[in-house]
Amino acid sequence: MNPRRIAAVATKEAKDVLRDPITVGVALIMPLIMLLLFGYAITLDVDDITLGVLDEDHTPASRQLTEAFTASGVFQLERELTDPHAVERALQRGEIRLALIIPPGFERALTRHEPSPLQLLVDGTYSATATLVSSHALAIASGFGHAAGPPALQLETRVWYNPSLSSVHTVVPGLYAVILMAFPPLLTALALVREKETGTIAQIYASPLSSVEFLAGKLIPYAIIAFVQMAMVIAVGFLWFGVPFRGSVAFLLAISLLYVLCTLGIGLLVSAVTRTQLVALLAVLIVTLMPSILFSGMLFPIFTMPYVVQLYTLAFPGRYFVDISRGVVLKGVGLEVLWPSIAIVAVYTLLVFALAAWRLKKKVA
Amino acid sequence: MTAVIRTTGLGRRFAGRQVLTGVELAVQQGEIFGLLGPDGAGKTTLMQLWAAILDPSEGQATVLGFDTVRQAAEVNARVGYMSQGFTLYDRLSVLENLQFAARIRGVAAQDFAGRSHELLAMAGLQAYLDRPAGKLSGGMRKKLSLCANLIHAPPLLLLDEPSLGVDPVSRRELWQLLRRYQQHGSTVVVSTPYMDEAEYCDRLAFLDQGRVLAVDTPAQLRARVQGRIYEVRTAMTAAVQAILRDAPEVLNLQWLADRLRIQLHAGADLPPATLARLRGLATLTPAEPGLEETFIALSTAAAAAPPPVSPAVMETQGGEVRAERLCVRFGDFTAVDRVSVSVPPGEVIGWLGPNGAGKTTLIRVFCGLLMPSDGEAFVAGLSVNRQARALRSRIGYMSQRFSLYPDLTVAENLRFFAGAYGLGGKRRRQTIEWASGMTALTGMEARRVSELSAAVRQRLALACSILHGPAVLFLDEPTSGVDPLNRQRFWQLIQTLASGGMTVFVTTHYLEEASYCHRLGLMHQGRLVALGTLEQLRQALRLPADAGMEAVFLGHIEHAQRELAS
Repeated sequence: MNPRRIAAVATKEAKDVLRDPITVGVALIMPLIMLLLFGYAITLDVDDITLGVLDEDHTPASRQLTEAFTASGVFQLERELTDPHAVERALQRGEIRLALIIPPGFERALTRHEPSPLQLLVDGTYSATATLVSSHALAIASGFGHAAGPPALQLETRVWYNPSLSSVHTVVPGLYAVILMAFPPLLTALALVREKETGTIAQIYASPLSSVEFLAGKLIPYAIIAFVQMAMVIAVGFLWFGVPFRGSVAFLLAISLLYVLCTLGIGLLVSAVTRTQLVALLAVLIVTLMPSILFSGMLFPIFTMPYVVQLYTLAFPGRYFVDISRGVVLKGVGLEVLWPSIAIVAVYTLLVFALAAWRLKKKVA
Repeated sequence: MTAVIRTTGLGRRFAGRQVLTGVELAVQQGEIFGLLGPDGAGKTTLMQLWAAILDPSEGQATVLGFDTVRQAAEVNARVGYMSQGFTLYDRLSVLENLQFAARIRGVAAQDFAGRSHELLAMAGLQAYLDRPAGKLSGGMRKKLSLCANLIHAPPLLLLDEPSLGVDPVSRRELWQLLRRYQQHGSTVVVSTPYMDEAEYCDRLAFLDQGRVLAVDTPAQLRARVQGRIYEVRTAMTAAVQAILRDAPEVLNLQWLADRLRIQLHAGADLPPATLARLRGLATLTPAEPGLEETFIALSTAAAAAPPPVSPAVMETQGGEVRAERLCVRFGDFTAVDRVSVSVPPGEVIGWLGPNGAGKTTLIRVFCGLLMPSDGEAFVAGLSVNRQARALRSRIGYMSQRFSLYPDLTVAENLRFFAGAYGLGGKRRRQTIEWASGMTALTGMEARRVSELSAAVRQRLALACSILHGPAVLFLDEPTSGVDPLNRQRFWQLIQTLASGGMTVFVTTHYLEEASYCHRLGLMHQGRLVALGTLEQLRQALRLPADAGMEAVFLGHIEHAQRELAS
């Protein structure tokens, strides 16, 4: 390892990339676009659910129940339905997601403290929201029932770490992991494969540079760019999406530097084994972006996946960083809790670099 | 004399294909050693083995006393290796490229200051220090690459086809740089497919199909076929050719623009009967051999020569190619600048010029693919401005890439191109038969194009471009990548087509090929700087009759530059 040679490669690479405004622009703007798009698009919150009511009772109690639904803020009364066929048609057309059917004799049963039948029809085509919708509806309906008589149990529920249960607070810290997995490896992969495509790599092979020196020099400018990407994304998450920051900013930045080195290393590894930019691009997307969205726990909780798939997710560094990022941002925890994940990312990084240096053999064939 | 490079039994396979076999060579200190051979001969592979960036499959090589496999890092640290193609970073300036080359090789700052100044001055690049390498001309790029490889003053320099894509002016400057460098006691290895460039080397190795055919000085190599070469001047080309082609003593027949040239088999002499038949028809004079003839003699001795091509002449209605003050501008860049030329039917005109001189642009205008910005052009009486569609069925075009379908067979390719020209039924069968017979493809119809050699692909591409009996045939670098013997045979086909009346318009990088053309046009920076027979071009500069094409070319370009400057 000769630091002067590493510095030579790093300087050259930095000049080369800074003079390409398109690469720099894409590197800085794309992560923000992804953060904004995903931050807004991926929402598991339910509000303004369209509601249809078939009131066959026509009593003050049935009207009160309808009001209880609309007053909750979750449901929005789309239309009053007149017969069961209309209910089905409205659900089929997607005009309403939930139908509340109040049978005749609802008020009478209620005043006599008899169990009063009530029907809820939920559109289950969006299974995730359907569950939420029906539990909201259930809560309102049972609350309405309790008002009529004393409850048997009193449950005090407190949600920790994300009291408003806002999905933005869950998704955005997860996105930090996905974005830093999606873009930095592209930079390094393309930078190295471009040298293979143009043929400048032959000069590198035929020089005294060792593969470790070459890779290290290549890495430095992109690590700086990736660090800027990361700082930008975290700042936008905090300032724009209002994601709380309970833990230490410095700690998260330090760990994400490690994570970024890991993802940049994956890019280098891909470029060490591919020959053309197109193949490198596809390979990077397949090994980084896709699994980091599906298997990192950013969107779909890992603990609900089948056991075999859970084992599979262990292979992706993204899943560890999702834990780290949510841990620091939402739970305010530090090294004392997160050290196993951090250790795994560190080992992963070392492995990726060792593998890349070993694969880049300084031979043309 | 100590050997700088020594190889024993060196060989290399790629995916089971033997690219290099049993190479035994020694390169002496202080010489300029040339590797001469056609594309695919194994030159690049050998260079990469010596630069220690490729490991051999068999045998071994020592470079500067180090084993290229076990001590690769030692070799890397000492050798300068310039690969083919791009070796520079386009967005880095001239100086930055040089600095990078120096710093990765650990050149001390004070050494760099002195050496870079000297090298840049020698290469004439001092005025462009801050210009990005991507904005340099091809010649300047090569010179900068060379400087980058000399910055650590390597005792051995390996250059893989340094003159590829370089115009003759820059090529001469490149060689001046190499000579000066060699005078400091360093060793240079240069690979090249060009015979005229090989003449500059102290010693040469002929490389063909992965084997070394011979190693010697250029003069000694030429002497190997001394006495076997004759020039035949005649007014009755067809009759004389028929006699010579049937003579078993003749190894090869070259059909030049104004004469024939024959090479006899080793130890053979034309029998009195043949000489008697030629008497009165032709005059035979012994001629000085060229390197190309030695190469052909050695390569055919090593492997059986492919059967000669004896094309049948077919009468074609040839057409004139005419340009009047033709201009093509792209934005404020003038690619073709007021070119006027008239090519009569049946003429072979060679169009020469450095890369970017405007040759390809001009051909694209004649083929009706590009509208001229100014001026007029006519091909076979049709205007390229107004009758471009009709024009395209009267011309044939063969590009340097041989646009064939590699996964189709020879017959399928021919059928496809015949169909594309609107030929069908009996007519199609007949023309395919004629074209494949003419280009010696008969018997290969069922072979897939991807498994054919470059020479056969080249003949197939020619066959595909003449199926419709074009009046004018445009050939864009048709002989690149083909070995000398097959190149000569390809030219026989061209001459045969021209003698049948077809007008042939050829661009080429091989300056030696100028002697096949009836007339030559030299282009430089979009302008036609000279037009005439080789003899006329020589006389215009008062050059001796044996002056090589390179001297003629350079003379005219210098003349044009002086005119431009004044």
